[in-house]
Amino acid sequence: MTQGKLCNKRPVNTEEELHSLLADKGGKSYYEEMQDLDVDASEIASILEKTLKSRMRTWLEICTHCGLCADSCFFFLANNRDPEQVPSFKIQSTLGKLYRRKGGVDNEFMRMAMDTAWSKCTCCNRCGLYCPFGIDMGVMFSYLRGICFSQGFVPWELKIGSGMHRIYRAQMDITTEDWVDTCRWMVEEHEDEWPGLTIPIDKPDVDIMYTVNAREPKHYPEDLAEAAILFHIAGENWTVPSIGWEETSLAMFAGDWEGARLQVESVYEAMRRLNPGRMVVTECGHAYRATVIEGPYWAGLASGKTPVETFHYVEWVVEALRNGKLKIDPSRKIKEPVTYQDSCNYVRNGGLGDIAREIMGYIAEDFREMSPCREHNFCCGGGGGLNGIGRYRRERNIGLKVKRDQILATGAKLVITPCHNCWDAVRDLEEVYRIGIRWSFLKPILLSMVEIPHHLLPKE
Amino acid sequence: MYDILIGPMAWVSFGVLMMGLVIRILRYIRGLDWKLDRVAYTKNISFGVKGALRSVVLWLFPFGTRSWRDHPVFTVLVFLFHIGLLTVPVFLTAHNILLKEKWGFSLWTLSENAADGIVLLVITTGLLLVLRRVALPEVRKITDANDLTVMLLAITPFVTGYLAHHQASTYGFWLYAHIISGEILLMAIPFTKLSHFALFFMSRVQLGMDFGIKRGGMKGKGMAW
Amino acid sequence: MFGKVLFATTATPACDNAAHVAFNIAEKYHSELLIFHVLGLPSRGFSPFVRDARTGEEEYYDQDYIQWVEEELKNTYAEQLARYPNARIMTMAGTPHTEILRLARKEDVDFIVMGAHSRQERTGALGYRQAGSNMQRVARSARCPVLIVNRPCTTCLWYFSNIIFGTDFSRASYSAFLFASKLAREIGSRLYIFHALDLSAMHAGKIFSQEEIEDQIKAAKEKIHRIYLSQMQDYDNVEMEIWEGVPYMEILKYCREKNGDLIVMAHHTREIDPEEALLGSTVEQVVLRASCPVASVNRPDKIQEQRKTR
Repeated sequence: MTQGKLCNKRPVNTEEELHSLLADKGGKSYYEEMQDLDVDASEIASILEKTLKSRMRTWLEICTHCGLCADSCFFFLANNRDPEQVPSFKIQSTLGKLYRRKGGVDNEFMRMAMDTAWSKCTCCNRCGLYCPFGIDMGVMFSYLRGICFSQGFVPWELKIGSGMHRIYRAQMDITTEDWVDTCRWMVEEHEDEWPGLTIPIDKPDVDIMYTVNAREPKHYPEDLAEAAILFHIAGENWTVPSIGWEETSLAMFAGDWEGARLQVESVYEAMRRLNPGRMVVTECGHAYRATVIEGPYWAGLASGKTPVETFHYVEWVVEALRNGKLKIDPSRKIKEPVTYQDSCNYVRNGGLGDIAREIMGYIAEDFREMSPCREHNFCCGGGGGLNGIGRYRRERNIGLKVKRDQILATGAKLVITPCHNCWDAVRDLEEVYRIGIRWSFLKPILLSMVEIPHHLLPKE
Repeated sequence: MYDILIGPMAWVSFGVLMMGLVIRILRYIRGLDWKLDRVAYTKNISFGVKGALRSVVLWLFPFGTRSWRDHPVFTVLVFLFHIGLLTVPVFLTAHNILLKEKWGFSLWTLSENAADGIVLLVITTGLLLVLRRVALPEVRKITDANDLTVMLLAITPFVTGYLAHHQASTYGFWLYAHIISGEILLMAIPFTKLSHFALFFMSRVQLGMDFGIKRGGMKGKGMAW
Repeated sequence: MFGKVLFATTATPACDNAAHVAFNIAEKYHSELLIFHVLGLPSRGFSPFVRDARTGEEEYYDQDYIQWVEEELKNTYAEQLARYPNARIMTMAGTPHTEILRLARKEDVDFIVMGAHSRQERTGALGYRQAGSNMQRVARSARCPVLIVNRPCTTCLWYFSNIIFGTDFSRASYSAFLFASKLAREIGSRLYIFHALDLSAMHAGKIFSQEEIEDQIKAAKEKIHRIYLSQMQDYDNVEMEIWEGVPYMEILKYCREKNGDLIVMAHHTREIDPEEALLGSTVEQVVLRASCPVASVNRPDKIQEQRKTR
C-alpha cells in the first residue's frame, strides 16, 4: 500500500497533521504524492456494493445519452459547448466506469475522476431539472467525491477544510474562545451607537438561535454585528451558541461524510442544549444545504428535519418585513437597477425562490431578474467548493463567464448575493472580467434603509 | 413455425416482459434507502406524493417542462416517436384480430391508413433521432453502440411489419421477421435501456419525492420543472 | 498614554511618514511598539490565497510567505529598528481594518499610528457603513486614539508642543478633549481649544444674519467654558478661539497660525452616510491637508482607564 505522508486516505484528525498539510505550499508535495497513491479496488467495490443502490444504478443504466443535459450545464456553455463538458459524459466516464469496472481502476483514473468531480461540476443540480429521466448528476458527483475522498483523491484545500471541521467543528481554525470573543468585540464596537445591543451567548429557550459561516467571525465580523443590529431593531429574543455555531461544511464539498456528520451534530447538539424556538442560518447557501437539507440524514434523523425548525436568513427577513418588525423607509429603497443571484442551494434545492422576490419587492424599485432565474438559475460558478481550490482556478474563471453574461444582460450594476459562495464568485468575477458591478449581502442593504424605532437611538 | 411464434413464444415474450418489469420495479423500490438517498420517503408522504405527481405528469406532456420547451424539435420528435411506438402495436387491426382469435376480445382499432402513417412516422422520427445523435457534437460524444442497438431493436418491428403489409410477394419472410423482432423487442425491454418503459416512472417519482420532501418542496410551491 | 503603540503599516512608502512619527513617539515615551502589517485580502474565503498588499499579486498564505513579508518589514524599517529595538513585528491575513481593530483590542493598545493613504480595498462589495478607506474605518471604531500621519511633520520636534483640539461639542468630541487635555498636561504642551462655526450651509442658500452669527459664537464660547475650561483646573497653558467658516478650512488655518504639531478631533460615527463617506468628513479633509499628524479620538475608554489606575 503506497500512502503518502500528506496525501493518503486517512482524514485529518489532529492539529499536527493539519499543520503539516498547511505547510505544504500550494499542496505541491501533496499532489506529487498523489501520483503514487494506491487505489484499493476491492474497497471501492465494497463501497459501491453497499451504497450505490437502485436510484443511482438506474440513473447510470437508463441514461439514453440524449444530451438534453448538455446546455443545462454552465461549464458546457462557458467552454464553447465542449462535448467533454456534457454532464452525461462527465458522470459516465467517471462514476459510470467505476461502477461498470467494479472499482477496478488505476491511479490515473482516480486523478481524472477527482479533476472531473471538482473542476467540472459544482453540484448545482441544474442538470437534474433538464433530464427527462430525472437523472441528477449533481447528486452523483457528490457521491463520486465521497469515493474519491475515501481513497485520498481530494483537492488539497478540501482535505484541509474537512480536517478543520473534524478538529475545530468549523471550516477555519476558530476556537470557542475566538468565536465568543468576536461576538463580544462586535458588541463593544457598536453599543455606543446602538444602546442595549447584545449578542447573547448560550441563552436557553429563546425564540431564535442564530448560526453563521466561520468566515464571518474570521474575516467579516461586521456581518455578525449587522445581524445583531437587525435582530435588535426587530426586537428578537435570540442567542448564538458558544459551541455548534458553524453552519458550513467543507466536509460536504470534500465528500467526507463522517466529517460532515460530526459538524452538523455539533449544531443539533446546540439546538438540544439551548432549546430555541427555531434556528436562523446566516446568508449562506451551502451552509443551509449542509445543515438543514442534508444534515438530518447524515445524523440519522428519520424525520429528515433538523431537531428544531430552521429558517434561512431570507426567510427570517421576509417574515420580519411582513409583520413589520423591520420597516423599510420607502425613500431609501434601492433606486438603481438591481438583480438577485439565486443560490442553487436554497433556491433550486431549497424552494426559497419566491421569498427572494418578495424581499426584493420591499427593498428595490427597479428589480431585474436574471434569465434564467429561480430554480433554473445558473450556478454562480464558484459553488461546490470550487472557489477555494487553487488547482482549478483556471477552470473556475472560465465558468464565471456564464454568470457574467447573465448579470450584464440585466443592465443592473448591483447584485444582491445572499450566499457567501455566490458573493465570493461575483467578487472574483468582477476581479477577473471588470464589468463594473457592486454586490452585497442583504444585511447591509437592509440596515441602510430600515426605519429605526425611536427608543433604540442613542441619547446624545 | 408460425404457430409456435404466435403461440408459446408470444407467451414467453410477454411473460418475460411483464415479469422482467415487475422485478425491476420491485428491485428499484427495494433498493431505495432513505438514509443513503437522503430522502425521508415515508415520513412526509403527502409532500412526496405531490412532488412525485408533479415530476411525472409535467414531463408526460410535450412542452410541459422547461427542458421540453427549450428543445422544441427534439421534444416533437421524441413525443411522436413514443406515441407511435405505443399506439400502433396496441391498436393495429391485424394485432386485434389476433387478439380476438386467441383471447376472444379486441380493442378499438386504427384505420389502415392511420396505422401506416404512424408507422412511417415512428420510422422517420427514429431515424431523425439517430441523425441528431450524429449531427450534434454534444450528443455524438455520448452516443455508443448500445444506443444505436436499442434504436434498432425498437424500430425493426415497425419496418418489418410495414414491409410485410405492403410487400405481398415476400410476405412470409417479412411476417416472420416482424414477429421475431417484435418478440425480441418485448423481451429486451427489461434487460436494456428500454427498461425506461417502467423505470422512467420510478426515477421521476424518486426525484419528484426528493424535491418534494427534502429539497424545497415543503417550503416552496413545488419544483417548477 | 503611549504605553503600547500599534503602528499599522502597508509597508509601502505611503507609510514612511507615519513610521517616522511612530518610532519617534515610541522612543520618546518608551513605548512598546507593535509593527503590524495585514497581509492582504483573505481571498476566496477558506482558501489559502492572499493578495499581497504591496505587489497586488496573488500569494499562498503560508509560513514561507509570512517569513518573507516579515523579513521585508525588517528591511523596510531597518534603520529605525536599529535605534529602537523594543518593537514586535506582526502580520495577519485579512481585511486590514478588521485585523487592525482586532489586534488593537486583543493587545489592548493605547495608541494606533497609521498613514492616511492606507490602500483602499478595491472592491464593489457593499457593507453596512463599510465604504471608505481602512483609515476611516479604523478611526471610526477604535477605542483608543488613532494618530493619522499623512505628510512629513515639519513641526514635530518635541511631540507635542502645540496641541490643537477641534470640537463640535458632540459626545465623541468630549473624548477627544479628554485625550488632548491629558496629553497637554502630561507633557506640558500648550492646548488650543478651537471651534469653527459651520457656515458651509450658506452654500446651500441659507443665510445667517450677523446677529445670528454673533449669538452663536457667544453660545459656543459659553459652552467651551462650561464643558472644557472648567475641567482644566489649575492648568492655564490653554487658549481658546472660535472662528466661522467651513470647519476643516478654519481648523487648518488656525493650526498653521498656531504652529500646531498635533490636531485632535473626534471622528464621528453618525455623520457619515456611506454614500458620502468617500467624499469625507471634516476629519478626512483635515487629515489630507494638515502638515501635522491628526489624532482621531471617539471613545474615552483608553483615557479614562488610565485615570482610574492613577
